[in-house]
Amino acid sequence: MKTLEQIQEFYESELKQSLAAMEQDRQKMISKAMAFVGIFGVVGLVGGLLITQMGAHNGVLLLIVLGICVAIGVGAFSAANKNYKSGYKSQIIHKLITFAQPGLEYWPEGGISKEIFTGSKLFTHSIDRYHCEDLVRGKVDKTEILFSEIHAEYKTTSGTGKNRRTEWHTIFKGLFVVADFNKHFRGRTVVLPDTAQKAFGLFGQTLQSWNPSRDELIRLEDVEFEKEFVVYGTDQVESRYILSPALMERILEFRRRLRDGLYLSFVGSKVYVAIPLDTNLFEPKTFSSAAGFESIKEYYDQLRFGLAIVDELNLNTRIWTKE
Amino acid sequence: MPVLFGLVILGLIVLVPVLMYNSLVGKRNQVANIFGTMDAMLKKRWDLVPNLVETVKGYAQHEKSLFETVTAARSRAMGGQMSDDEMVQYDNAVSKLVGVMRATVENYPQVKAGENFLHLQRTLNELEEQISAARRAFNAAVTDYNNSVDMFPTNIIASMFGFQRKGLLEFEAQARQNPSVGF
Repeated sequence: MKTLEQIQEFYESELKQSLAAMEQDRQKMISKAMAFVGIFGVVGLVGGLLITQMGAHNGVLLLIVLGICVAIGVGAFSAANKNYKSGYKSQIIHKLITFAQPGLEYWPEGGISKEIFTGSKLFTHSIDRYHCEDLVRGKVDKTEILFSEIHAEYKTTSGTGKNRRTEWHTIFKGLFVVADFNKHFRGRTVVLPDTAQKAFGLFGQTLQSWNPSRDELIRLEDVEFEKEFVVYGTDQVESRYILSPALMERILEFRRRLRDGLYLSFVGSKVYVAIPLDTNLFEPKTFSSAAGFESIKEYYDQLRFGLAIVDELNLNTRIWTKE
Repeated sequence: MPVLFGLVILGLIVLVPVLMYNSLVGKRNQVANIFGTMDAMLKKRWDLVPNLVETVKGYAQHEKSLFETVTAARSRAMGGQMSDDEMVQYDNAVSKLVGVMRATVENYPQVKAGENFLHLQRTLNELEEQISAARRAFNAAVTDYNNSVDMFPTNIIASMFGFQRKGLLEFEAQARQNPSVGF
């Protein structure tokens, strides 16, 4: 991984010019939008006055015409904005990522598929709406890794007829990482934030062992780890083979640096990590400049965060039979 | 109505001890099951003994008697003629052999760089990690079982049917001193 100094040099020599051109386009887009809003403010005001003078029939007609113009304006703006963002991502972010960590590729429109997400067994709720973007994929030293943003939701409907209401609930929103684990294993081990034990103590642990949607409860000897997480697995010995005392320590350390929890699972010789996040990754802002080095640094930090799992879990240590 | 109530109470009086008994049996079986896994892994490590001896014997002549003891013990262990105590002793000897190997390769870089050694090293690391996992799983299962044997109300059923507490695995002082590979 390149250092921040190297990124700064790269910014000066490779990115700055393209960023300046993009910044001009962005400013043009914003001033067009402002002009549009200004003109329609005036037209709307005049139109409003006219409507009060007109008959009802002509008034409605004028409203429809105004409405169509506003819709066209909003449509044109969002198309231009989309264009700006996708240009930024495919040129700037792509260059930044492939330079910062050679061996990686970036697809702004790509993402981790729903099948992989559900295959991780981290979230058992059925999904009604699934969105993913910003896929980064490649190899960091010996470890294959991919990550993307994911937003998975389910819906509930209540009421009937006219009162029928649909509500969307988030199952998971944030960063989802899949990496090759450094040990061979056959079964499945899932590590989830512990809510029951925190709330109900020992009784909570009994409740956890009755969870029908999960495998066997694995009680680990690390007290701190047990307080923070609950572990389910298909094989008592294998889960402990994966979660060695050293790895438990590392996971706890990593958890302490995150705000909203950490979900991990080990399935098919891979580790799946879900980190809830509110931030939209690699996303340039529309109404403020993304041409300065601060923005580049922010994306670089986000990339490091996505790849952090390799170091946090020591995945490049290949001293077991898996190479 | 009172009859129905009486029947429910009677049902519970029968059902609850049956459930407690079954949970005790389940936990005891879990201990035996994990013990079996651990045993299998220890034997896998013993399979590496000829390789281990082969790797270091040219470089550590002063440990000749250790090699002989271990090699002789291995053939007895493979023949299934060992008592539990002897098996523990043998396993400790194997641990010592692993220690000797690690110390030897530090002094002989040409051994360390060899393809065979690297493979052996990986296999050993893997097995030791698995054995340690099996030991931890065994102790967790024993603790769970012992809790049921000691705690009210399952202790009543346990004492009625002769469920005995089981001992946890303790590591030999020598094994504790063994340089851990450090992961």
